[in-house]
Amino acid sequence: MELIFIAAAPFILALALALPAAQSTLSKTTQTLLSSLVMTALFVWLLSFLPRVQDQGAVIQVFDWAPSLGISLSFYLDGLSLLFGLIITGVGALIFFYTGYYFDQSAEYNRFMVWLSGFSGAMLSVVLSGNLLMMFVAWELTSVTSFVLIGFKGADDAESRAGAFKALFVTGGGALALIIGIIMLSVAAGQILHPDDGTRIAADLSDILRASALAQHDWYTLFAILIMLGGFTKSAQFPFHFWLPGAMSAPTPASAYLHSATMVKAGIYLFARLSPVMYQNELWPSALLTIGLLTMLVGAYFAVKQRDLKALLAYSTVSKLGAIVAMLGLPGQNGVKAALVGIIAHALYKSALFLAAGTIDHATGTRFIDKLGGLRKRMPAMFAVTVISALSMAGMPFLMGFVAKEVLLDAMLHYEGRWTPLVMLGVLFSTAFTAMAAYMLIYDVFLRRPRHKIHFHQPPALIRLSPLILSGLSLTLGFLLEPVIVPLLEPAAPKSFELYLFAGVNEVFLLSLGVLLAGFALFVMRKPLIARIGFPLSCDMIYDEMLEYIGWAGRTVLHTQSGFVRYYLVIILGAVSFVLIASGTLSSVAAGQSFIPRDLSLTITDLAKAFMLILTVTAGILTVVVREHVKAAIAYGVIGYAIGVIFLIEHAPDVALVQLLVETMATVLIIIMLGRIRTRTRFNAIQSLWSGRHDYNFGLVRDLVISITIGGAVFIFALIALQSRPEQQSVAQWHLEHTHVVATEDVVGAIVADFRGTDTLLEIAVFTTAALGVLTLLARGRQSGSAFVPRTAQVSSLHEFNDEVVDEIHDATSLSTPFTRTVSYIVLPIAILIGIAQILYGGIGPGDGFTAGVTIGLAISLWYIVLGYDEARRQLPWFRPEIITRLGLVIAIVNAAIPIILGRGFMGHVQYDKVLGIYELVGSFGLHITSSLIFEIAIAITVMGGLGIIMEAIAYPAARSNGGPQSTEPAEATGG
Amino acid sequence: MMIEFMFAIAIGMLFGIGVFQLLRRDLIKAAIGFAILFSAINLFFVAVGAFEGEFAPYVSNVEAGRSTSDPLIQALILTAIVVSFGSFSLVLGFVNMISRRYDTVDSNDINKLKH
Repeated sequence: MELIFIAAAPFILALALALPAAQSTLSKTTQTLLSSLVMTALFVWLLSFLPRVQDQGAVIQVFDWAPSLGISLSFYLDGLSLLFGLIITGVGALIFFYTGYYFDQSAEYNRFMVWLSGFSGAMLSVVLSGNLLMMFVAWELTSVTSFVLIGFKGADDAESRAGAFKALFVTGGGALALIIGIIMLSVAAGQILHPDDGTRIAADLSDILRASALAQHDWYTLFAILIMLGGFTKSAQFPFHFWLPGAMSAPTPASAYLHSATMVKAGIYLFARLSPVMYQNELWPSALLTIGLLTMLVGAYFAVKQRDLKALLAYSTVSKLGAIVAMLGLPGQNGVKAALVGIIAHALYKSALFLAAGTIDHATGTRFIDKLGGLRKRMPAMFAVTVISALSMAGMPFLMGFVAKEVLLDAMLHYEGRWTPLVMLGVLFSTAFTAMAAYMLIYDVFLRRPRHKIHFHQPPALIRLSPLILSGLSLTLGFLLEPVIVPLLEPAAPKSFELYLFAGVNEVFLLSLGVLLAGFALFVMRKPLIARIGFPLSCDMIYDEMLEYIGWAGRTVLHTQSGFVRYYLVIILGAVSFVLIASGTLSSVAAGQSFIPRDLSLTITDLAKAFMLILTVTAGILTVVVREHVKAAIAYGVIGYAIGVIFLIEHAPDVALVQLLVETMATVLIIIMLGRIRTRTRFNAIQSLWSGRHDYNFGLVRDLVISITIGGAVFIFALIALQSRPEQQSVAQWHLEHTHVVATEDVVGAIVADFRGTDTLLEIAVFTTAALGVLTLLARGRQSGSAFVPRTAQVSSLHEFNDEVVDEIHDATSLSTPFTRTVSYIVLPIAILIGIAQILYGGIGPGDGFTAGVTIGLAISLWYIVLGYDEARRQLPWFRPEIITRLGLVIAIVNAAIPIILGRGFMGHVQYDKVLGIYELVGSFGLHITSSLIFEIAIAITVMGGLGIIMEAIAYPAARSNGGPQSTEPAEATGG
Repeated sequence: MMIEFMFAIAIGMLFGIGVFQLLRRDLIKAAIGFAILFSAINLFFVAVGAFEGEFAPYVSNVEAGRSTSDPLIQALILTAIVVSFGSFSLVLGFVNMISRRYDTVDSNDINKLKH
């Protein structure tokens, strides 16, 4: 259980920080302390797993999710994940602390922290997840959160928008390859582990790591390449490295955290994770080695040319990532040790350097090396941080980076391949350039006399703490190899583990010193050297060119868009009918079917059905041929009623009831809405649509052909479906036999409220969403503080209507006779009673929450029509549809969640009367208080509220042009 | 046999009518056509689910061994009706909105969606 909490904690932190209450009550300092304390706690918690990991290898915690698909919510913690988890939480705690002092504005800080803690949760989930598919989800989440973080200043900074897009484009594209690779790998692992059962897939890490025959699988080349593509893009390997410098427009804490310590290491984690089963085939190690070395070279070479501090650090990160990938690619997993030490050393010195760069930026307002200089006296703490961390990056003896470089050179020296001398040369070359970059960081920023005047303001004192701690670790950990580093790394490495700070003056040590000196030589003659660095073609240019082409293709497609949505539909449906006919699908499906029934006899019930069908179709044709919209609407109502009667004859009383009620509602709604559209508008439409119909009309013929084709296709499909329907063997049989278990008589009601309750829950949510959509469209000037439509976007409705029409809507003088008023007064309580009865006794007969909600909604809509809008609002002060809808949804969700506590699962069936011990008491009234009953009540309330929202939005009249109800509205609105 | 044929004809015709209405220029008629499409689909489902059911799907009918109609399909249609009403009202909302913005219900007068 613990691991799921560890992975979820940062997400919870993010949600908590996002709460308006947290933003207003907690000060920036409190939020800073809180968030870094959470990360520290997670660090300690993860550390407490170390003994277990050392003993038993891996801690696995599994929660079934979709077992039939091989997807589980599983967590897997072994030495490797533990190492990454500790880096994420440890560096995270320090960077979270730093962030609080980096941002001056509280609101900006809060927005940033929400995303940053969300990111850390995603990253923790990547390394803790024990299932590749789940890992992929977290992997994508890191891309999305990092997109937001890179584009954090996006609103007023085009460069950061471009950087964010570039990062998402590259890593997201790689992730597409990765998911295909993961699926193929899981299927292959399933075939290996369960040779007798071809359908099982194995996506769990614990399974995959057992499938050692993966390297010999037929698909190996394909999935290995796809997975490597995912990892290479994420870890900014050549030729995809260009997104990382582009991502430097992120605020510095994000760069330090995401783009040096964590996210870019996700690809490395993936390689390290899968290496044990993948490295036996030649492809995996050689690809990792080649790409890694290339990246290492490219990164180191271009780093020294950068004039932006963060870009320089980004390129040197690219180089180091390449080195780590190359180490993972050494044959026989001989480089894993060097890779792991490199990961730790790099996380420490690079995040410290980034934080120092951020502090310098904060203090001077610039990150450009040429504008900086002489900061040694003004920022002594940052000077110390930079000296230690940059020298650690260069590999100066007895710092942590030195250890990393020693093991790297050692591993390379033992590499025996065809290209050994060349490879060795490349490694030496890039380490020398890295050393040169490190010297430049120290000298150009801190020691050299500044060329320009620097506007300096002292940053908050505590901003120094995190970089100081990180560089302190770089300084001391080299001396603490035995007690700290070795126990941490040992469980993560496949082989026995030994580390020495100083292994004597051997060839590795001499090489290491030589590289440092070479770096210094390069540093001394850097001016002419840097001027020569360059390459006529960069990956960035290729990327830009590609974007150009994509944009061009998009614009070309846009030329085909006429803007008339109706013609799009004509083309879509026309193409469908063309394909239906031309491909012969229709005729092949229809082959062998008899279309003309041989037996023409009809029973009495069939006659009734036939009559209703004829009525339906006739009314349908009427909706087309009548001109006036009101008549068409009434004809549509006839269709609805006829279908309702068919439902009744087909022994579906519940459906018939809902159908009749809803159709009434729909017809009322159309007619009300027609009253809200200007008569002249509708008249114009009718005029122009019907005037030319005696001429030859191409459009009419075209539409007729399309609709006849589609109607014909549906006819054939329906006929075949009806004639060859299978015997009843669906899950329905099970429902019929088990309904008595939930103490209900009506099987349909039991399915809606119980067996498929989750469906219904989503369904009422959809319904509510539709209702809110109507509200959003039509809320105009209704309440001055309307939540959905800002006042500026509200459609001005003055002078659109004839005043008498508006008056009629407001006061409904012509409909409001004593008789109609009395009827509507009586109808509402009766409707409410009927609704309650339908809910309570819906289990015994037809009717359920839906019918109850619609019944009450209908009675209320009667009030709106008969009494007019103003009067109805005044007389029904309790009817606040938005609140009622919310209440219904909350009841539904709470009712769905309570069974989880009782151990029945989400939406489980609970007999509350038995739980509460009042079974006998309520039973004497013929009642059973069950979770389905409460759910029905919730459905009824939600549907009633939703209908209310729709009715109010559509029935709401325009303001009178003589300044009518606008003045009375605010008084009403404050009540809600 | 015959009644199934009639059901199929009616469903096909309702579908054709709905599609035709959608393709025409009058937006109010198009909204009605939209609703007719929903009705046609619901009708199709209930026709398929009817089987030889002679009785409503109640537990007492099941226990008495009578053949009932398919309850699952009815449950599906039940919720579908309510949801289709929701989307229908959304369509009506759109039509209402358009008539205010552009002062027309003729879809040929509305070609500014591109910009």
